[in-house]
Amino acid sequence: MTSSARRNRFPLWILLGVVLVAALAIGSGALNSTPMTPAQRAVAIETGIKCPSCEDLSVANSSAQTAVFVRNSVRQLIGEGKSDQQIQAYLVSRYGSAIVLVPPASGWSLLVWVLPLGGGAAAVIILAIVLVRKRRNASEDPVAAAREEASLDAGASSDQLDARRQFLEQSLADAFAEHRAGDLSDSDYQALRRRDTARLAALDLAMVKHSDVAVLVGGPETVGADDPETAGAGSNQSALAAPATSTPVPGARRSRRQRFLITGAIVSFGGALVLVVALFAASRLPGQTPTGNPTLSQQAQIQQSLAQAATLENQGQSGEAAQLYQKVLTQDPQNEVATAQLGWLEYNTGVQGKSASLIADARAKLDQAIKLNPTDYAARLYLGTVILDQDNNAAAAVAQYQAFLADNPPAALLQQAATILRQAYTQAGAPVPAAVPAA
Amino acid sequence: MGNHRARWIGITVLVIAAGLIAVLASRPSASVASVQSPLVGHTAPAITGTTFDGSDFTVPTAPGHFVVLNFFASWCAPCQQEGPSLVAFQFEHQQAGDASMISVVFGDTLSAARTYQSTLGVNWPTLTDGNGKLALAFGVSDRPTTFVIAPDGRVAAYIVGAVTAKDLDKVIAAAKATHA
Amino acid sequence: MNAAFGNTGVLLGFAAAVLGVVVLAVGLAKGRPSLIRAGQIYAPVVLVGGLIATVAMEHALLTHDFSLAFVAENNSRETPLLYSIGGMWSALSGSILLWGLILGGYATAMVWRFRKRATEPLVAWATLVVYVVAAFFFGLMLHVTNPFLHVVGKIPVDGAGPNSLLQDNPLEVIHPPLLYLGFVGFTLPFAFAIGSLVTGRLDSAWQRETRRWTLFAWTFLTAGIVLGALWSYQVLGWGGFWAWDPVENASFLPWLVGTAYLHSVMVQERRGLLRIWNLALVISTFSLTILGTFLTRSGVIQSVHAFSNSTIGPLLLGFFGLVLVTGIGLIAWRGDNLRSAGGIDSPISREGAFLANNLLFVAFAFVVLLGTVFPLLYEALNGGRQITVGAPYFNRLVIPIALGLLFLMAVAPALPWRKTSIEVMRGRLAVPAVLAVLVVVGCVLGGVKGIEPLAAFGLGAFAAASAGRALALSVRLSWRGARLSGASPARSVLAGWRGFVGRANGGMVVHIGVVIIAVGLAAATAFGHRTEVALSPGQSTTFAGHRIEFVGTRTVKTPSRSAFQAVLKVDGGGTYLPAITQFGAGSQDVGTPAIDASWRDDVYLTIDATATSGSQLTFGVVVQPLVMWLWVGGALLVFGSVLSAVPGRRRRPTDPVSAVPDSVASALGPEVSAPEAVGAGADGDGEPGSLPDPDSEPVPVGN
Repeated sequence: MTSSARRNRFPLWILLGVVLVAALAIGSGALNSTPMTPAQRAVAIETGIKCPSCEDLSVANSSAQTAVFVRNSVRQLIGEGKSDQQIQAYLVSRYGSAIVLVPPASGWSLLVWVLPLGGGAAAVIILAIVLVRKRRNASEDPVAAAREEASLDAGASSDQLDARRQFLEQSLADAFAEHRAGDLSDSDYQALRRRDTARLAALDLAMVKHSDVAVLVGGPETVGADDPETAGAGSNQSALAAPATSTPVPGARRSRRQRFLITGAIVSFGGALVLVVALFAASRLPGQTPTGNPTLSQQAQIQQSLAQAATLENQGQSGEAAQLYQKVLTQDPQNEVATAQLGWLEYNTGVQGKSASLIADARAKLDQAIKLNPTDYAARLYLGTVILDQDNNAAAAVAQYQAFLADNPPAALLQQAATILRQAYTQAGAPVPAAVPAA
Repeated sequence: MGNHRARWIGITVLVIAAGLIAVLASRPSASVASVQSPLVGHTAPAITGTTFDGSDFTVPTAPGHFVVLNFFASWCAPCQQEGPSLVAFQFEHQQAGDASMISVVFGDTLSAARTYQSTLGVNWPTLTDGNGKLALAFGVSDRPTTFVIAPDGRVAAYIVGAVTAKDLDKVIAAAKATHA
Repeated sequence: MNAAFGNTGVLLGFAAAVLGVVVLAVGLAKGRPSLIRAGQIYAPVVLVGGLIATVAMEHALLTHDFSLAFVAENNSRETPLLYSIGGMWSALSGSILLWGLILGGYATAMVWRFRKRATEPLVAWATLVVYVVAAFFFGLMLHVTNPFLHVVGKIPVDGAGPNSLLQDNPLEVIHPPLLYLGFVGFTLPFAFAIGSLVTGRLDSAWQRETRRWTLFAWTFLTAGIVLGALWSYQVLGWGGFWAWDPVENASFLPWLVGTAYLHSVMVQERRGLLRIWNLALVISTFSLTILGTFLTRSGVIQSVHAFSNSTIGPLLLGFFGLVLVTGIGLIAWRGDNLRSAGGIDSPISREGAFLANNLLFVAFAFVVLLGTVFPLLYEALNGGRQITVGAPYFNRLVIPIALGLLFLMAVAPALPWRKTSIEVMRGRLAVPAVLAVLVVVGCVLGGVKGIEPLAAFGLGAFAAASAGRALALSVRLSWRGARLSGASPARSVLAGWRGFVGRANGGMVVHIGVVIIAVGLAAATAFGHRTEVALSPGQSTTFAGHRIEFVGTRTVKTPSRSAFQAVLKVDGGGTYLPAITQFGAGSQDVGTPAIDASWRDDVYLTIDATATSGSQLTFGVVVQPLVMWLWVGGALLVFGSVLSAVPGRRRRPTDPVSAVPDSVASALGPEVSAPEAVGAGADGDGEPGSLPDPDSEPVPVGN
């Protein structure tokens, strides 16, 4: 059945639809509707009348004496030629409105119908509007959208940025797995990946900027307030952040103000970018953020690629990451991040594959990276580890590690590297520096 | 992005919930809540049926004096509780001639109902209502249920649960006052 | 003496809960880990308090200690052992005691489970919340619902015995504790939700714990609801299993919202979305258990099951208000900062289906809640005029929602995350769709009339086939995984059973249970027949294809009851004994139905009326098809949720929905065909990405 379904899908689904509609039309009795017999009418009325002496049962379901009385009366009234409404009205005139199990759609009890139906309709409409708006947004250029998004992120706290980054990374990993399993079509996957990597790269920029400002002025709360260079951005940022802590401005005014703020933020963001990147090239995580570069567009591209590669690397997709680093190097042969990361990837592959030539080439790349930027702590760490593992030369490794520690590596990396650092220092017989975190 | 959707939705939900809680808090317990009959204030349905001995019995649509119509069963505890009180009520008002009692069997065997009434000393007519016509016409759902019908034939009161002679006297006095 | 012990237990529980609140609050305020750790010790003390009180109460019931008002009202010397034990939860104050005991148990379990993380603010706050709830319930028992009050006046020689309806069937003893295990179990997810809102930590630890405890409570609640329906079918004598009674609705409401949460939490785990929504669902679930308890225990609504009115109402209502204000207030305060970092990519995706599922479940719950409280609203709005919102109202609004849920059940398991194409869905849904259409056509040819049953059967087949497909793929994957990792053919086939285990697969078993229940409900309500027939001994009648013969009557007397039974033969086979039973002198007569149950249909027999003269009896006869499948489906629900609690095959959190296609599997080699080898965590528990996460806590949980 499946194979035939696959061969000519269209007829199958049309056939199914036609058969279904036909079957339902016959089954619902819409084609040959016969008028209800008096007994059927009686049952229909009785299911809507509460048994007077019961709590929730209809007279149709109850065997209580009062229910029997009501049933007899309904049948008698039908026999007298009374309409359904007349019968119901008669019972209400005797027992009160509570005798009817279905609240009438009039007066206050209209609410019991309007609230669910109206609420449901409203929910569907709101959902439709949201979806349409989302689709319209999605059709715009994803890179531009991502950049705009990132400019909004500029006002977010570092926790929020982290959460966002985690979300996007998971998103990318997800999409990869879905695509590999055949759940996601090639074009969908490409589109999603393009969008999310763009968002990720833009976010990384925002994060660099964020940490920059935070370091400068001592915390995100006072963003940019005392810094002449980022004052423009700062004031806008704090204005942008304001609605998160104070009472919001109503509707239209807020959206106009927001748009103004967003534009301001984008402009100041762009202006601050060069400075930020140049100043804080050293404070990045390995493989995560870029160094300064004169041309912004190419720089942005490189940053994107690097961020994407870092994500892939984190997910263990070394091959794809390596390709991306290679691509960065063709654009910017002097990029020490790509050089170092590529060297490290090559080294790992070389160790796994027991390939001496690959390991040698990896070492050359790491040396090159250090030559390009002597304060590249990541390259130092990698090279130290290579020396320790391959040459078993703890002293030489410790020299590299010393440089690594001197270059202010981020805490997270220190934490990860702590074990191997301790091992190296112990082997070399040197005291473990205080900067190395305890196990 | 930086708006307060959660806050506003939260506040809205809280306001709605506060309304719901206010309504629930203001509701009396269902066992205390007054039960109503749409018949009160309207002309009573015709009271007609057969007595224990099989003879027909009919109350005129405008009886000229108060009629107390009591639906009962011999096995029901509140009915047993109100029984003596009803006998006392009948005794007093028979003298005065301003009110009379009529009982209707509601969900009981005739023999049990008859035995119960004779031990109680009932001397007023009792309708058997075998097909439930009267119970249905008066919208009776529980026992005991008592209706007070004014001299002009309108239903003056509807009481579910045990009544006392004093309750009935009060109802009659009130009805007299409004009519006078 | 029982009273003394009991009151001591209640006081101990209350004092421990209050002390726990105080110590934890001080510890959290001053940031002292030692105090916070000390604060956790009170949970077992609460449990001990509850246990002492429960033992005292049970001892009083079993020894018929009528000096206690509760025992005098709910027990008699003739009450059988089982109903004496169950007497504790047959009335209000005893059931509050059961609530307190279970809460003490949950609190202890929680503290034990988190003993290594006791000083974490999230855990400390959650424990504090549980203590507050425990203090409330033990506080109730101290005063307004004290189960150990002395009788007023002379100690009676014998007690009144339990309500007649409550001593006719062992289910009455079993199902309330199950319901309470469910109700009370939702306290823990609520506590974690509040804790994470207060601390601002909305991490995977929160999700994991909340999801597990919710599943646990949900399983018990499901079992309780199904057994409650079975009880009402076997006892109440009208042949139905669900009457949209306020008490039934009160237990159904948290179930609906809890079910919504169990689905939407997967979106949060997988995609990091719907975080505030999930918090709101967890808080609503708990609030609804309190609201339900208020509605059914305060006497504002009359119902078969509702306990008589007491002063507990305002207190429960106040507590409900407190829960709502705290929960919603916290969400309003924190929510905007906890918002997910992204959105749903496409509505035609797994997460889109989950969202739709959630909207339908919430709409379902809204209709049930509105229908339940509307008579009260109407009375308030309309100057005391009364109105009834009954089964026809619920059916009219709920059936379309239920059909929508069935449709989603069919489509969602085949939907991939994020986005899909028509081609993919066509391929995956072809077999289920063909099956569904065949079922509809078959039903129409078989003479089934009515759009609702046809839709239920068709969508049921669609959903069952879709769930079956998911299970088959999962079993095949397990089996092949075992094959590829070198197991012998026999062992690999055995390994296939693991395809039924784990959250997603257990969920599919639950889905099949739901389909069975839906089909059973549709068939029983649409094609049931009922009649009343007067028979004299020796006479017989044929109704809806069943021959019913009235053989005679007999009276059976035991110390606790006296039953007037009619002996009936159904289809010439078995003998069935519908009865009118009197439990002890002076109590009301209760009809006891007899049921000839089979997989095809049930014949439900009651004595509706005894003749005024002669030996003729009027019997109520209800013939309903497929009723038994309701209970089978219910059992499958519980079985499926147990399966989903068993650790599943280890997989990466990013593993795709569908099984790996052959070509890809062979191309990628062992990594994919044996996912166990690369698992970053048990079934869906892992962190995103594959870097060793320095933040990942050592959870003392072990799935």
